[in-house]
Amino acid sequence: MKGRQISRTAVVWQLLAVMLVVLPHVQWLPLWVPALVVLAIGSRLMIHSGRWSFPHWSVKALLVIASSGGLILSFNHQAGPETMVALLVVGLALKLLEVYHRRDALVVLFVSLFVAATAFLFSESVWIAGYILLTTVLVLAALNSIQQSSSARRFRDNLKSAGRLLLPAIPFMLVLFFLFPRLEPFWSVTIDSGQAKTGLSDELSPGDVSKLAQSDELAFRATFEGEVPLPAQRYWRSLVLSEFDGRRWTRPSHEQRQVLRPEQLQPLVSAQRYEVIMEASGRPWLVALDQPLRAGQGTLMTPVRTLVMDRPLERRRQYPVESVLQYRQQPLLTRQEARHYLQLPAGGNPDSRALAQRLLTQADGNTDGVITLLQAYFNKTFVYTLEPGRLGRDSVDQFLFETREGYCEHFASATAFVLRSAGIPSRIVTGYQGGEWNPYEGYLQVRQYDAHAWVEYWQPEAGWQRLDPTAAVAPERIRTSAQDYFSTNEGFSSAGMGLGIDWLRDLRQRYDAFNYSWHRWVLNYQGQQVQLLDDWLGGEDRWRRLLAWLLPTMLVFGTVGYWLLRPRPTLPRDPMARALMRLQQRFATLESGREPAESLAMWLQRVADDWPKQRALMLRLAFLDDQQRYIERKDPHQQAEMKRLCRILMRQLPRKKR
Amino acid sequence: MAEKLRMNVEQALASLSSVLLGKERQVRLALTCLLAEGHLLIEDLPGMGKTTLAHALARVLGLEDKRVQFTSDMLPADIIGVSIFEPQESGFRFHQGPVFTQLLLADEINRATPKTQSALLEAMEEGQVSVEGERYPLPVPFFVIATQNPSSQFGTFPLPESQLDRFLMRITLGYPTADVELQLLAGGGTRQQAYRLEPCLTSEQLKQVQAACRQVHASASLIAYVQRLLQHTREAEGFSYGVSPRGGLALLRCARCWAWLSGRDHVVPEDVQAVLGAVVGHRIRSASDLAGHESDRLVAQLLAEVDVIGQ
Repeated sequence: MKGRQISRTAVVWQLLAVMLVVLPHVQWLPLWVPALVVLAIGSRLMIHSGRWSFPHWSVKALLVIASSGGLILSFNHQAGPETMVALLVVGLALKLLEVYHRRDALVVLFVSLFVAATAFLFSESVWIAGYILLTTVLVLAALNSIQQSSSARRFRDNLKSAGRLLLPAIPFMLVLFFLFPRLEPFWSVTIDSGQAKTGLSDELSPGDVSKLAQSDELAFRATFEGEVPLPAQRYWRSLVLSEFDGRRWTRPSHEQRQVLRPEQLQPLVSAQRYEVIMEASGRPWLVALDQPLRAGQGTLMTPVRTLVMDRPLERRRQYPVESVLQYRQQPLLTRQEARHYLQLPAGGNPDSRALAQRLLTQADGNTDGVITLLQAYFNKTFVYTLEPGRLGRDSVDQFLFETREGYCEHFASATAFVLRSAGIPSRIVTGYQGGEWNPYEGYLQVRQYDAHAWVEYWQPEAGWQRLDPTAAVAPERIRTSAQDYFSTNEGFSSAGMGLGIDWLRDLRQRYDAFNYSWHRWVLNYQGQQVQLLDDWLGGEDRWRRLLAWLLPTMLVFGTVGYWLLRPRPTLPRDPMARALMRLQQRFATLESGREPAESLAMWLQRVADDWPKQRALMLRLAFLDDQQRYIERKDPHQQAEMKRLCRILMRQLPRKKR
Repeated sequence: MAEKLRMNVEQALASLSSVLLGKERQVRLALTCLLAEGHLLIEDLPGMGKTTLAHALARVLGLEDKRVQFTSDMLPADIIGVSIFEPQESGFRFHQGPVFTQLLLADEINRATPKTQSALLEAMEEGQVSVEGERYPLPVPFFVIATQNPSSQFGTFPLPESQLDRFLMRITLGYPTADVELQLLAGGGTRQQAYRLEPCLTSEQLKQVQAACRQVHASASLIAYVQRLLQHTREAEGFSYGVSPRGGLALLRCARCWAWLSGRDHVVPEDVQAVLGAVVGHRIRSASDLAGHESDRLVAQLLAEVDVIGQ
């Protein structure tokens, strides 16, 4: 068996399979690896066509040493999944060069299946899933072809039998999908190269958010159980930054964090329930609408009421949240807390500090007055733009008095600075604002260009309150989505968001809706699975689960097994015998079937009288059958005539007794 | 030539039928048996025309015939012959018994003791007779037509299976139908008519006919059908034992002759079915009835259960 040489068709199949299996990895593999694969396939084709002979062992040894060195150089000794997959691909290419026996071909194809599966490490999109399904069919066809010694079978037959092999797997796949518990991986796989992860950073310096806003990548999606909040209410908080060093806003340091108590939240309206599917960001913080009521499953609540996870978000994740849109938060601050939220660097930005004092006197020490005046000040001459000039050392001063143009982080930073200078506790919140409603699947999609920064200031009794300075400068940005705002404002066209054309936008929404369904119902099925199991089995008992998983498996395997091994009425192989058998079956349904003791001729003669129109044909058939069967006159003309007679009779006879 | 043979055979059949009124099928079967070079056992009640049939067959085939009436006190020597001391020659001389003939009619064979029966049966099987170490070949052709009373009658020694197997066919004549019986009664005895029949075939012609019968073509599918029949008697419910390979060969041989008699040069399943009861009936036994009276029912079952065409 293993010693047998494989057929030429099988070689072609393998090359095709290897090519398709490697294809999805090409985008990240170092260039020389695909080149090696192409080289291997090319030389294999040359060997296949008989122009080259199999390479000498020294050539093979050289290739192994060279490609091992290449891998070490390319991946810098990193032992990540990329390295491993690259190693597999290289091995696959080299193995191709020496496929001679069936055993070698088996190795190539099994490794191909494995490489195909590794594509899911890098992408989980529906396209990759479809593509891998296709390649699986192809690899199976290749497997099928190496089991045939002759190349007489056509490609289509191989493909067909591969499809037929996959069909019984479908019910099994469905059972596994619905019932098999989703296990957390035993090891953590971190992949840096594939899904580019963008997201909010835990510090804010001028230019950070606007850089993020250049990207139209998806940040997260949200579905609401009840009413969807209005655009102006869609403040998705992610991080609270309360320490300022004159240029950067950062999260409180560890010592400072000891000082801050978990903040109280008194809901003023009933809570809104929704679910967020967050894309991988590589960072642990999540998003929640202002303000989250409590941490949902698998998430933690920080003292400043933002949601985080216990580890960075390396894969897309779905989590439920409850938020209240009107609330009173932390009506009392301790002295230490107040000091923390008033903290400013000792020096720098003198003009801004002066401005704060001026505003304070103008407003008679009234906090609301200060805010109104500041907003009015912004409204006068400030420009909202994605491409502000670069800011120097005293960035707040420069922004407020010189450039006067900026993005949300500039406004937020300046506002918080001025408020703190005026003695009002305040902090910066970063997150996302707005989002685009997708009508096809009914969810809100929030992209990176929706990233936003705003301010919260504290007042006795009222607690923390949101203040969005951007609303004063560019109110449409808040009322409508970022996309609309940018697409109608000349200054933002550079952001690559020229999606003014309606049908294109519609198409994009549909595509996104499709992707969303894929993520929600296929990739993140886990939640529903738990629900489903609970519904079906009334609880998460281990034994019940095992049973629920064993029974359908047995059922599926049993059905498939029975279908394959079922006792089948064996229709004869010989086409003539088959035709006659069919004819007899037809007559049997017409209640004039043949008795076992009757020869065909006898029977036809007996029933011929009941069918006056077909009588002649039947008698002729009787005569011919006698000739063929008992005189053994192997006359092809007679056989052809018999087949023809059978066909005619089958056509003329009714299907059921009238 | 072949036409002439066939004509003569047809004529022989006609002659036989004229003597045995309304028994065309049995007559044809009996002739088939002789054409197939086998011995015939006729089982029926006394007075049903068994002996008449045997005589008539001998007459029309132009064979020399002898008749032995078996009784319970018969000895083998009464059939085979005996060596007698001849004073003139001062030695023993073998006096041939009635078995030395072309057609032996053994009447009521089951009334003889097993010892006597087996003496005849050896002659049937071997075509020769051994007496005191000497072998005496029997004439060719040599046929035995034995009649027997149903074994339920008094004073019978039923033939064992091994000896039944030596008979190619067993037929029963049965009562005549009402019409035939009327004709019979009006026409007087038939035995005399049988003696008056003219021979229709010479023994040379008989040989030719037998040769022609052997040439009848049996196709692969037909042989497969015969094999399925045999197999069925060995495997199906209701049979206590099945048909031996010798029985199978006999069946095929008879089917060939029947086909030839029907004017065909190939065997069709109907030929097999026509001779099946006669050839197989005494070779099978119902599991529920060891006396062997149910062979007709068994044969009917066999016919109904075995598919002619098969897979």
